Amino acid sequence: MLGISRGERIFGVINRSVMLLLTVAMIYPFWYLVMASLSDPKLTALGGLYLWPKGFSWDAYIAVLGDASFWSGFRVSVIVTIAGTVIGTFLTATTAYAISKKRLQGRMAVSFFILFTMLFNGGLVPNYLLLKELHMLDTLWALIVPGTISAFNVFVMRSFFVGLPEEVEEAAKIDGANDLTVFFRVVLPLSKAVLATIGLFMAVMYWNDFFSTILYITDKGKWQLQAVLRNLIDHAVQSSGNGPNGDQIQVSAFTVRSASILLATLPILLVYPFLQKHFVKGAMIGSIKG
Amino acid sequence: MFRSAGSALPIRADRWKRIKRDKYLYLLLFPGLFIIFLFKYVPMYGIVIAFKEYNILLGVFDSPWVGFQQFERLFRTPDFMKIFRNTFVISLYKLIFGFPAPIILALLLNELKNGFFKRFTQSVLYLPHFLSWVIFTGIIVAFLNPVDGLVNYVLTSAGMKPINFMIIPDYFRTLLVSTHIYKEMGWGTIIYLAAMSGVNPDLYEAARVDGANKFKQMWHVTLPSIRSVILILMILDLGNILEAGFMQVFLLYNPLVYDVGDIIDTYVYRVGIQSANYSLATAAGVFKSVIALVLIYTANKIVRKSGNNGLW
Repeated sequence: MLGISRGERIFGVINRSVMLLLTVAMIYPFWYLVMASLSDPKLTALGGLYLWPKGFSWDAYIAVLGDASFWSGFRVSVIVTIAGTVIGTFLTATTAYAISKKRLQGRMAVSFFILFTMLFNGGLVPNYLLLKELHMLDTLWALIVPGTISAFNVFVMRSFFVGLPEEVEEAAKIDGANDLTVFFRVVLPLSKAVLATIGLFMAVMYWNDFFSTILYITDKGKWQLQAVLRNLIDHAVQSSGNGPNGDQIQVSAFTVRSASILLATLPILLVYPFLQKHFVKGAMIGSIKG
Repeated sequence: MFRSAGSALPIRADRWKRIKRDKYLYLLLFPGLFIIFLFKYVPMYGIVIAFKEYNILLGVFDSPWVGFQQFERLFRTPDFMKIFRNTFVISLYKLIFGFPAPIILALLLNELKNGFFKRFTQSVLYLPHFLSWVIFTGIIVAFLNPVDGLVNYVLTSAGMKPINFMIIPDYFRTLLVSTHIYKEMGWGTIIYLAAMSGVNPDLYEAARVDGANKFKQMWHVTLPSIRSVILILMILDLGNILEAGFMQVFLLYNPLVYDVGDIIDTYVYRVGIQSANYSLATAAGVFKSVIALVLIYTANKIVRKSGNNGLW
């Protein structure tokens, strides 16, 4: 084993510095929003924040949290995310389990039927017309159902099921269990890790979904949070008004925008530690079998 | 002879017997397949309206056939060359600048010792991937807004005029490419890092004995070891060369930058959904999907010809 040379030491220092700079570059925008949302709007009318808020005020948060459209979007997004994730994870698991069994007649054809949707799709307009003809426009179903199952997730889960030991399932079968019982009583409990991985990925996808609202929803009461947020970013204006308790609050487009972006990011940040625990594995399985 | 439950019947047994035996598996399969059929295959059938004159009263099925008229109309619109070129150019820039970025970043991350600093750096770098483009657009606006954006504050403080970056065509593609790299670069490293962790450490030791410095080790050991991963991801990206990043463009563009920023997807949305010109927009979408399919097929073939494992 050679000792560490001077060149390698210099490389190490430079490398760590570059990484530190990148990390700062990734965190700073969020810190900037924190500063912006907490600053006194009168002192930041033209921007000019660098490292620390100017003045201090919760008014932007009071304004956003007192905004009915924000809560409406939040409620829709929570419903859509929970319903979509639960239904989607379940459907993905059942489909993946069936095609993970070699004894299934027509398994190759079914796998190709699913795989082909990754290579080719109908596109925007036919999707829109389909939902229109199903009378799903302007309903929450339009936001939930089309995203429930994706070929990619099915194949990730299938490769997990293929790796499960046969013996456990066979033992249950000898005890007289049928495929349904085996799936629900034996396989699902063994698959918590992959269910969590797929579930979290789906939840993030539903939470971040913006375009489904733009495409399918006109009723503002059914907008997802991302669409409401977009509206706030586009149209936030300087205003002073009354907070929920009737007290005078001072906000600006700048502070309101920042506060609403941070509030919409919060749920992702809260699940991020769990996501991180699972996503490397999920990304890996997907890349091998995808 | 005892057979395991998985193959209780001989292989040439009656197909129906096997299907009957596995009836519960089919029951599990059915709901998912139904959803895939309804929401993926029915829209594929919907593509026929690109060859029809869609009439809202007649519906997809009964609207009259017009052959390739919609495509002729599409190719004749002055916008067509523009959106095709924009889609291709934006996507090509993203490939040229965005493809090497995670490889370089992974090479650097790979040199960090395992420990808190490495884990923390990775956590931070992966995070932007999970944030929506709406949130990202909000951040971009917070920095580039001509009135209260940070960049313009710095410019005006330095005695310069504020620049409204979002509406100047010269800056638009740079804005798209750089924010795309910023958001996806960290996430892109995962697969490369996993491949790098499989490289035999003896190879590095041997290279060092031969006097190779860090850069030579990366060039002669690490990169050749992960070649097949790089190739696979390259095929995927080539197949997606007409995916210029719909959400990102949609959220950032405005009529002032249409000349450099309007892409096939945004055109399909405006013409198809907003102007209800369903058939013409579908023709544009089909044009894109078919090229993508051909591209990914060709790229895969080239990789397999050169003796590497392709996607299939």
